[in-house]
Amino acid sequence: MATQRNLLSRSLQAAKSRYRYHQSLRRISSAAAPELPPFGYEPKPYSGPLADQVLEKRKKYLGPSLFHYYQKPLNIVEGKMQYLFDESGKRYLDGFAGIVTVSCGHCHPDVLGAIVEQSKLLQHATTIYLHHAIADFAEELASKMPGNLKVVYFVNSGTEANELAMLMARLYSGNLGMLALRNAYHGGSASTIGLTALNTWKYPIPQGEIHHVVNPNPYRGVFGSDANQYAEDVKDHIDHGTSGQVAGFIAETIQGVGGAVELAPGYLKLVYDIVRKAGGVCIADEVQTGFGRTGSHYWGFETQGVTPDIVTMAKMSDEFDAITVSFLSLTTYIYQGIGNGLPLGAVVTTPAIASVMAQKIQFNTFGGNPVCSAGGLAVLKVLDKEQRQKHCADVGSHLIQRLRDLQQRHDYFLVDALDYSMSKL
Amino acid sequence: MQRFATRRGICGTGVQRWRRCLSQLAQKTEENEVYVPKIPSFDYSPPAYKGPTAEEILRKRKDCLSPSMFTFYKKPLNVVHGKMQYLFDENGRRYLDAFGGIATVCCGHCHPDVVKAIVDQTNQLQHSTILYLNHAITDFADALASKLPGDLKVVFFTNSGTEANELAMMMARLYTGCHDIISLRNAYHGNAAGTMGATAQSNWKFNVVQSGVHHAVNPDPYRGIFGSDGEKYAKDIEDLIQFGTSGHVAGFISEAIQGVGGIVELAAGYLPAAYSSVKKAGGLCISDEVQAGFGRTGSHFWGFESHGVVPDIVTMAKGIGNGIPLGAVVTTPKIAEVLTRRSYFNTFGGNPVCTAAGLAVLKVIKREKLQENAHVVGSYLKDRLCALKDKHEIIGDVRGSGMMLGVELVTDRHLKTPAKTEILHVMDQMKDMGVLIGKGGFFGNVFRITPPLCFTKDDA
Repeated sequence: MATQRNLLSRSLQAAKSRYRYHQSLRRISSAAAPELPPFGYEPKPYSGPLADQVLEKRKKYLGPSLFHYYQKPLNIVEGKMQYLFDESGKRYLDGFAGIVTVSCGHCHPDVLGAIVEQSKLLQHATTIYLHHAIADFAEELASKMPGNLKVVYFVNSGTEANELAMLMARLYSGNLGMLALRNAYHGGSASTIGLTALNTWKYPIPQGEIHHVVNPNPYRGVFGSDANQYAEDVKDHIDHGTSGQVAGFIAETIQGVGGAVELAPGYLKLVYDIVRKAGGVCIADEVQTGFGRTGSHYWGFETQGVTPDIVTMAKMSDEFDAITVSFLSLTTYIYQGIGNGLPLGAVVTTPAIASVMAQKIQFNTFGGNPVCSAGGLAVLKVLDKEQRQKHCADVGSHLIQRLRDLQQRHDYFLVDALDYSMSKL
Repeated sequence: MQRFATRRGICGTGVQRWRRCLSQLAQKTEENEVYVPKIPSFDYSPPAYKGPTAEEILRKRKDCLSPSMFTFYKKPLNVVHGKMQYLFDENGRRYLDAFGGIATVCCGHCHPDVVKAIVDQTNQLQHSTILYLNHAITDFADALASKLPGDLKVVFFTNSGTEANELAMMMARLYTGCHDIISLRNAYHGNAAGTMGATAQSNWKFNVVQSGVHHAVNPDPYRGIFGSDGEKYAKDIEDLIQFGTSGHVAGFISEAIQGVGGIVELAAGYLPAAYSSVKKAGGLCISDEVQAGFGRTGSHFWGFESHGVVPDIVTMAKGIGNGIPLGAVVTTPKIAEVLTRRSYFNTFGGNPVCTAAGLAVLKVIKREKLQENAHVVGSYLKDRLCALKDKHEIIGDVRGSGMMLGVELVTDRHLKTPAKTEILHVMDQMKDMGVLIGKGGFFGNVFRITPPLCFTKDDA
């Protein structure tokens, strides 16, 4: 009898769930479709290859692992500030910003100006010669950093930045073991693939001595928002899985690829302490969270009240302040970026840590080239001039609130919304 | 043994400070008792020893041997002779051996049958390698394989537990084409490059590359974060596989009861859940039976049997040859095939003398019913240890199975603060009383009791 009752109540619950789900869908589809805000700009007419042709060529020449969004892939041919245009001139509100990269806005005039001007003067010579662009940019970037973080290395991507950071950590500490969070993304090269901790991104090759600690995910984590328990796991890994001494710990303050997962409050403070006691350095991966994107602070790590030993950055060079709400993406981003889409990355660290690199030669041919540096500097200026961090905070809070309203109305969507521009201020 | 550990310990001269660690009840007992326990009588006199003294040997060790070598006891013991469950020092003093050469001597020191097999074979043929045929290796392999369930019937002989685990890990990686191996925190699997990675206690891990090993939360019922909830711990394996690896792993290795880690039994329900997750990810399950195998746990011949699982690879050493340098890896024919891809050779592995000894050990275990003895005497000893725990606050936990028992000493039962100095003191006391016991655990505060399986109730 009890079993039958259980079965009956379970199937009733399932039926209710299905009903609520379909009701939600009906509400969404029957609601009046919202329109994009007006934008006084007409894209240039496009006369290049169409989507189908491009797709065919991609399949033929660009490797089977290249994937795209949407059942009918979008052929994006022009961008202006927070909008993108497809081959037919249709305007889209860009809520993803080239994967958290375009910070100032697509083809922002100031940034464009800097890039074009520099390209006409000198595009590439490498750091074996002097040039003011790299030094100016490094100075400006270092001025945004707290503490003793003032030595800048320029690379060409986030992956390269994290590779370099890991190398520095191992050389400086004399230890080998690295600690990274489960669900993190730090790159796709042979070494950074070890730090990355999402199985879809990890090829089956040896990945070195990396210890993946329990993710302090307040929504899905086994310890909820209890930073202490998560920090205990880090200590457990160090005590048992390593020699007791580690090279370092790396984390994104908000996991990007992992689904905009914030770290439980207070987590980084506890863990930084544990890692430093074990001889390790603390690396903050600001590839997605830096440059004011979180709204409340310029750097993501500042929201956790810590100062890392090494900071890596990339992606962001262009600001892009508008946010789209997509029912298919369960989180929203307000994106910033070091070069607004220019292939640029950087590692900022202390003089003491940087000194270990002098024992051998480390050279990056394209790193810090005049054009990218000029673009990067222009971005920093735009961020300051147009007060983009504050803007992120304002618009971000507004968006978060609207998402939370949506969460109230629809059971099946937005079960967790980032609260980053609001209560942390 | 434990009785006089407390009474003798209190009654013994110059141990006044020990009183403070014990409960009132113990003191009361002490006042009423005049009993002075002795190790059981043993009708045997050791041959006279004429070799170098302890001091001379210690000096030579310091000069010629590794500086990392360590000894037990304030005054290191010079052990020169052994007979069954007893050891004799240079003065002919007899000690009850409750550590068994670190869970290795299972039949008893210099067991006549084993000695005879070794001597006979040594007189016949001591070494030739497997390039030639010899019956000793095949007889033993046959007998050993018959003790294992399922399709586990291909035997590789090595010379130690480390070698066995190294081979097991390599086979798992070759068989699956994956690199990632999962082991448990607090585990000990060996000290070579690969096994050092699987070993998961910081003091055993040097600062060298130890690639591809992921250390799962230890399902430790006493200190573990999820208590005795085996399935909750097993979720960490799922988590590691999903996030820390490509989603496919080479394998999972664990001891059924952690030896070096302090006789930590795995929480109930853990292994079946863990094995299931690992197999789903294409990995092989390796059971490290170096300490728990050969009937030591009493209830079963192999440690993994008490968890109701069947591994893909089983590694063994220590007890396999009653102390002779021998190790083995047993696996299925399919997995064994991976080694045919290249040349694999072990010069000493499976030599006639060691395999003859191994076979003799199996026969002794069967004939003298040593597994049953381990079960009966071990359970009896565990009960008495539990009674001791009720009397003394310093005992935080009594655990283990058969003749693989652990007693964890803590200075605070709630906080579980390890009693690191107290344990050394008690160990020394016990040695003075004539009982040799082992020590282990991450904090070094766990007594490890792993005597030869011929231990009697009187000994207990």
